[in-house]
Amino acid sequence: MSELLIRNACVIDPINGIDGETMDIAIRDGRIVEDVNDSTAEVVDAGGALTLPGGIDSHTHICGTKVNFGRYMSPEDMRAGRTPRMGRMHATSGYSVPTTYGTSYRYSAMGYTTLLEGAMAPLEARHTHEEFLYTPLQDTLANTLFDGNWAVMEAVRDGDTKRVAAIIGWTLSAVKGFAVKLTNPGGTEAWGWGKNVSCIRDPVPYFEVTPAEMIQTIVRANELLHLPHSVHLHCNNLGTPGNYSCTIGSLGLIPDLNDRRQTLYATHVQFHAYGGSGWDDFCSRSEPIARFVNMRPQIVIDMGQVMFGKTTTMTADGPMEFNLYRLHHNKWSNHDVELETASGIIPVLYRRKNLVNSVMWAIGLELALLTENPWQCLLTTDNPNGAPFVRYPEIIGLLMSKRYRDAEFATVHPETGHRVPLPAIEREMDWHEIAVMTRSGQAKALGVLEIGKGHLGVGAEADVAIYPIRIDEVDPSVEYQKVVDAFRCTDYTIKRGRIVSRRGECLVDGNNTTVWVRPKISDSYDMVRDEEFVRKFDRYYTVRMSNYPVQEEYLRRNLWRRNLCIETEAEL
Amino acid sequence: MIVKDVVCPFCGCLCDDVEVTVEDDRVVAVDNACTLGTSKFLGDHRLPGPIRRDGNGWKDISYDEAIRYAVDMLLDAERPLLYGWSSTHGEAQCVGVHMAELVRGVIDNTTSVCHGPSILAIQEVGHPGCTLGVVKNRADLIIYWGCNPIDAHPRHLSRYTRYADGFFLENAFRDRTVIVVDVRKTETANIADEFVQIRPGGDYAVLSALRAIVRGKTDTIPRSVSGVPREQLLRIARRCKEAKFGAFYFGQGITMTRGKYKNVRNAIELVDELNRHTKFTISAMRGHYNVYGSNEVNTWMTGYPFGIDFARGIAFYNPGETTAIDVLARRECDACLIVASDPAAHFPRPCVEHLAEIPVVQIDPYANATTAFCNVQIPVAVTGIDAAGTAYRMDGVPLRIRKVIESGYPSDEEILSRMYAMIQEVRSE
Amino acid sequence: MKFLMITGRTVNQGAYVERKLSAQYADETSTCFMHQFDMMDLGITDRERVQVTGPCGTVVLVIAASEDVNPGTVFVPYGPYANHIIGGHTHSTGMPDFKSIEVEIEATTEQRKGVYELMEELGGVAYDR
Repeated sequence: MSELLIRNACVIDPINGIDGETMDIAIRDGRIVEDVNDSTAEVVDAGGALTLPGGIDSHTHICGTKVNFGRYMSPEDMRAGRTPRMGRMHATSGYSVPTTYGTSYRYSAMGYTTLLEGAMAPLEARHTHEEFLYTPLQDTLANTLFDGNWAVMEAVRDGDTKRVAAIIGWTLSAVKGFAVKLTNPGGTEAWGWGKNVSCIRDPVPYFEVTPAEMIQTIVRANELLHLPHSVHLHCNNLGTPGNYSCTIGSLGLIPDLNDRRQTLYATHVQFHAYGGSGWDDFCSRSEPIARFVNMRPQIVIDMGQVMFGKTTTMTADGPMEFNLYRLHHNKWSNHDVELETASGIIPVLYRRKNLVNSVMWAIGLELALLTENPWQCLLTTDNPNGAPFVRYPEIIGLLMSKRYRDAEFATVHPETGHRVPLPAIEREMDWHEIAVMTRSGQAKALGVLEIGKGHLGVGAEADVAIYPIRIDEVDPSVEYQKVVDAFRCTDYTIKRGRIVSRRGECLVDGNNTTVWVRPKISDSYDMVRDEEFVRKFDRYYTVRMSNYPVQEEYLRRNLWRRNLCIETEAEL
Repeated sequence: MIVKDVVCPFCGCLCDDVEVTVEDDRVVAVDNACTLGTSKFLGDHRLPGPIRRDGNGWKDISYDEAIRYAVDMLLDAERPLLYGWSSTHGEAQCVGVHMAELVRGVIDNTTSVCHGPSILAIQEVGHPGCTLGVVKNRADLIIYWGCNPIDAHPRHLSRYTRYADGFFLENAFRDRTVIVVDVRKTETANIADEFVQIRPGGDYAVLSALRAIVRGKTDTIPRSVSGVPREQLLRIARRCKEAKFGAFYFGQGITMTRGKYKNVRNAIELVDELNRHTKFTISAMRGHYNVYGSNEVNTWMTGYPFGIDFARGIAFYNPGETTAIDVLARRECDACLIVASDPAAHFPRPCVEHLAEIPVVQIDPYANATTAFCNVQIPVAVTGIDAAGTAYRMDGVPLRIRKVIESGYPSDEEILSRMYAMIQEVRSE
Repeated sequence: MKFLMITGRTVNQGAYVERKLSAQYADETSTCFMHQFDMMDLGITDRERVQVTGPCGTVVLVIAASEDVNPGTVFVPYGPYANHIIGGHTHSTGMPDFKSIEVEIEATTEQRKGVYELMEELGGVAYDR
């Protein structure tokens, strides 16, 4: 039995309605409890510092084929972030795409304890899980890609929602995935012929389904499976001027089907909130999107904030990356995955002196500030697409301080003011709202409150971040630099009751958990027994069906590592 | 007993439909595999136990003694080289990286003498690729350039290209065009629809000519380029542009010859160019079954695919300096740990001469040319036969390699983990 | 006579790659494939031996007639024989020149060595149990 007592913590715990109360937190064997033995428990004195549930990133690219290729092709990025082996910490490399240890240590220093990999191709799932094992200080979950899945598209074409659910359910269990991800649905299949779909009514070549039909059917299938998370959508038409109408069209497809969480999670909406008919009249359309979201509790979005500087873009959206390549003429990688999806990578530099980049920067902030309910707009950069995750503290500062925003705005492209509403927005977010946007909102949206994530109530997993700042002494509106500095590096990051990071130094090798789902499906919907599915699988994949599922070895390489399977009762 | 869907641990094709018949913990028959895979599954003559060089002879030692020797060698070394890694499972490679970091060594894999130049090119211009099944189901044009799959990847043609079924091809054999480009008429050239023979060292020029033609600059092309007639170049470029989906596979014919990574870069840029007209992908024909896995493991753990130098605590990468050939040819390393590779057979003479002068430990199931330079050799299980683990196919698809028999030999991972634990006791904290 | 030497993988070299001490591996990797015309110029016939001198040394190989190599070029399967004469310079790429190497070839009556004899020449000790 191990016990830890955090004294004098200034707690913000939105799920439990605690907003800046100074209290003690008792931890036993990795969970929060009523009390512990004061005389024997290890004691941490928070000294009145801001104490939050461990941070959760609900959309980040950290592990897997595409991420690793981003490293592989970019020695210049690896050189840009090197640290030597020191104490318990292994050597790290990389700035925008750090090595797995680099990612884990730097997130941990920022108080993050749970990460959702945004895009895992089922065929290559084993790779993502291997890298999860080397991301020791955070629990990990994987969005699983279904945007170009042949069997799913055929079932959608046939109008067979239950079959869609059955295929998704089998695949998620097989590859140990957590949630359903659609990246440019239909577009990744069209990219197999070097084409794309323009928006949600444009049919996919050969399969003759539209993205709209795919989104609607898969959203219903997701609910039939009773998955913890909703469908996680990267809309069609990313990054093109005028795409906001396509985004609103996509969001408009979604009914309200779930009373515990949203029905659709739309990711990195900044990249989908553009007006104009070309780059010349490119402008922000954050307002209509935020208005739309404000009226629909069934939608949650994340920002996909852009920050100026160098980074690497990587997405399953293969055609979009090719378009980006034709704009930037920088190096370009592409990786199509048979029967499933695609992907692309190119490095980029976001410049203040570039009007389009400046507008992009403004849009992310606008979405956060114009979405009234912070539970509906979560803080991300779509790491590393908009910026590396190490820029999060600056984004927090910008959201909390109009003065900081104005100071930054003065440095961007001078035309930006005519294209964006940002300068007129007065809102400054408070500590509670930031807590929602960086952990509690994520836990609710992902559906992981039930397993004890995102809050500090009794029974919760003891993932805690203590930041070196006293909220009663600092005015974030003015002293935003103090806020930024505090969120860069915790005093303590605690993971399941163990202190894993102390002022940026990681102290243990860690014992993270992979969280995945297994919907229980009746035999009549078990795809392994479905002759047509099996026949096509063996004929068109280059991997035998028996070699496709990710074995348990990839979840528990060592004895102390935990894997957490969430079983659901599917209506099948 | 017949074990189905076994993954073959020979080349980067990682065929996973092999059937192995096992009797009394011996493989007695192999179905579906090619000659290369079959001979590996049926291989015998393992080194029975650890050996140590004793003057001009050899003596048997225990695993404990052998591991102790290897650990002491690494602890004593100022600049150890940890080389090989391509024919073992990813789990062992991971331990190797941790070990290299701890002893501040140079860790390199066989990539540096096969597709190292391809990676250098990718680091300059990227890599438009895809998994093998995408090619199988879509490609109506295949180019094999400087590679000879019939000899080196015998089932590449039947599983993924020439003889494979394809979802979008009605009659895959007839509807696919195969072009082979090489300096000699290989076996693969014999089954091609078109063979392009170029003069040795002429790859760069021919690729440049094709790029020019694809860009519409036909007038500048001379009557022949490195032995290839202009008409043929025009025809090839037209076929590429007219294809619905083209797949370009290349081998060491362009990575080892004059121009090296610049040849590969030119090929990638040709494919980039073709993507403005149709869909085109390019991929390297990776040799060892898990050489790509060693690149993947090294990359997620250190940031770089091969040739990593931990001498200064950080991971430092500079191919040409931190790669095995150079470290040996400069006579720089003072100890060498070799895992799952045979540098004495595959490295140029000056490198092998240096191996003779420094302590060498090899972890490998078989006696091989490198054995002659070992102070100690530690035999291990063969991954895919008597050990399980992860391997990455040439297109990045990871598979779990099975264990089909019990041999009693420890795996690479077990030996390396024991060594790492002993080194940690001395070096940590 | 001067030739360009190319090395590469062959199916036999691969099949015996885990059996480097076998006679088959030695036979395969010590074969020098040459065009008939060149053989006539050198005055040798199939299965006769040649001495090949490269940037780093000399090695004895066995000739095999082949129509698949162009005159002026020889092909040698990748392995210890070819490497016996190849240099370690990589032009800062990590990759030595394994292909298109200039070599001098002449007929010889010297015996072809075994793999371990080559290794011993470089300072190794045969393991022959």
